[in-house]
Amino acid sequence: MMRAIAAILIGCALLAPSVADAEPYFAVRQGMKCVACHVNPSGGGMRNAYGNMWAQTVLPERRIEVSDREMWSGAINRHLAVGGNLRANGQYLDVPNEAAQSEFDVEEARIYGAATIVPDRLLVYVDERIAPGGSVNLEAYVRLSTADQRWYVKAGQMFLPYGWRLEDDGAFIRQATGIGFATPDKGVEVGFETNTWSTQLAITNGTAGGAETDSGKQASLRTEHIRSLWRLGASVNYNDADTGERYMQGLFAGLKTGPVAWLAEADYITDDSFAARRKLWAGLIEANWMFKNGHNLKLTAEYFDPDDDVDEDEQNRFSLVWEYFPIQFLQLRAGARVYDGIPQNDLQNRKLYFVQMHGFF
Amino acid sequence: MGTRTLVVCAACIVLAGCAGNGEGLDENGRPVEEGGGGSGVLTADFASIQANVFTPICTGCHTGAAAPLGLRLDEGVSYALLVNAPSTEVPGLLRVAAGDPSSSYLIQKLEGTAQVGARMPLGGAPLPQETIAVIRQWIAEGAQSSPQSTFPTSLRAAWPMQGAVLDGLSSIVVTADAEIDTTVLTAGTLVLMRSGGDGVLGSEDDIEVPAEIELRSLSPTVFAIRARAGEWPADVYALQISGGGPLAVTDLRAVAIDGDADGIPGGDYVLTFEVEESR
Repeated sequence: MMRAIAAILIGCALLAPSVADAEPYFAVRQGMKCVACHVNPSGGGMRNAYGNMWAQTVLPERRIEVSDREMWSGAINRHLAVGGNLRANGQYLDVPNEAAQSEFDVEEARIYGAATIVPDRLLVYVDERIAPGGSVNLEAYVRLSTADQRWYVKAGQMFLPYGWRLEDDGAFIRQATGIGFATPDKGVEVGFETNTWSTQLAITNGTAGGAETDSGKQASLRTEHIRSLWRLGASVNYNDADTGERYMQGLFAGLKTGPVAWLAEADYITDDSFAARRKLWAGLIEANWMFKNGHNLKLTAEYFDPDDDVDEDEQNRFSLVWEYFPIQFLQLRAGARVYDGIPQNDLQNRKLYFVQMHGFF
Repeated sequence: MGTRTLVVCAACIVLAGCAGNGEGLDENGRPVEEGGGGSGVLTADFASIQANVFTPICTGCHTGAAAPLGLRLDEGVSYALLVNAPSTEVPGLLRVAAGDPSSSYLIQKLEGTAQVGARMPLGGAPLPQETIAVIRQWIAEGAQSSPQSTFPTSLRAAWPMQGAVLDGLSSIVVTADAEIDTTVLTAGTLVLMRSGGDGVLGSEDDIEVPAEIELRSLSPTVFAIRARAGEWPADVYALQISGGGPLAVTDLRAVAIDGDADGIPGGDYVLTFEVEESR
């Protein structure tokens, strides 16, 4: 059995265009690219065959044995593959001077579908958020790749390439940039992938999923140099909107030190859509310590300055999250997020405690 | 852990020790002298909702040029984009249907009953039901804006912006900073022209564009202007609203609007923009 799995893993690794995910620390820890595990070259969303195999053989603490035929690969047949995620939460929110709230919730359920119409060359991909609330399309694009898999172009609706594609849309670096899983945009993206470089350039409407309202467009460029123990990347984004131009630039990096995978990102934003230009800073440093197989301890420190010209308005957020993969395709999470902002704003000083059960395939 | 780990740990500590002490700021983190801070007590008026809900909570994402679905909730912009404005996700619904909170998409998103997408605030705790009840009350009472003490009354375009170049357009949205006498908003006081294709306004070949006006809010007055033909041919456009002469738009005290924004009543308001061939 193990030899069969190893053969499948090696086979998938060879076949996969290099891949990565919305948990980029996996990629840093493995020294691989987002596209090693994901259909999407810039990470996030559906896992490819290698990603699914890795998730059921390497990731969990204990694997429930199934026969080779029963192992999940995501493939329905040679051309069609599906995937999905469901995150169910229980959380407790403590806001100063307010009654504490606790609730159970479905954070999100997403399904993915990919049709490989021409093997290795032409793909149609859909990512649909189906809960909570009604269904909403996140990504829908067609992608054409060159025969050597180095170049691709995709068109449709897609997440924008910029910085680390974290699972947590609430991270300051995602909120401040406005680029996350809730804000896909419509346009085209060109990508260039080599063994050590991953680069994407997207030209989109610049309306964060809304209808186009002006003739200006948004350009978002992300490039990353990847080595086995470290990686360094840069992102730039320009949104030419009639409401005001917006420039963003950032650096992001990953580093593996023994059992700890580090992520860092710093972004500087100028936004002319306010009465006076605002300059914003956002930063993140995250340590992911795999202290035991199947267990990850995530410690994150974040910084946000909503207006560089205003003193004493800076905010911090600290998170401590334990992530446990007891068996394949199941993740249990428990964590705390502590917000530290100006004292006169209660929400900027809230504490959030949560547990989460996350099934994925 | 090695030296590299210690360096990164030190960077974490430096990064973390930077929260502001809030000195000289209101509860939304803006300088007190700017105004706009809330009292901390939420009441069923727009200024209070803006200061205590939209600004501190919603503008975490819904702000600036990158606002999701184009919905900006920052002060000065939010009202015109909410009240009687169609939702992007469900165009058949108004974001705020004045007088009808249950049919308002804003309420449906806050209560998690919307047909499309997730409950707001996205990824955060739902607003307390008491907070939503206050917003409901504001809508049920007509979704009025808060009284303004501005004088004289001036106009500005919520959409498109002055000098904008657009791929297409459905309507122009103009907002006043107080209530104006809408009975005088007629073809005599409001003129929409296009250049006739030469890109030069004020020449003989200018063409008047028949327009219709849709009132979205009384106080402050917000109105949309649509081309009666339903389309906006590629051209350079000018919207002129009269603030002087015998046919002037006035406030409720019959004082002419400050159309040219010089601080003195009178003067025409002029908005120019260009619509390009759709690509």
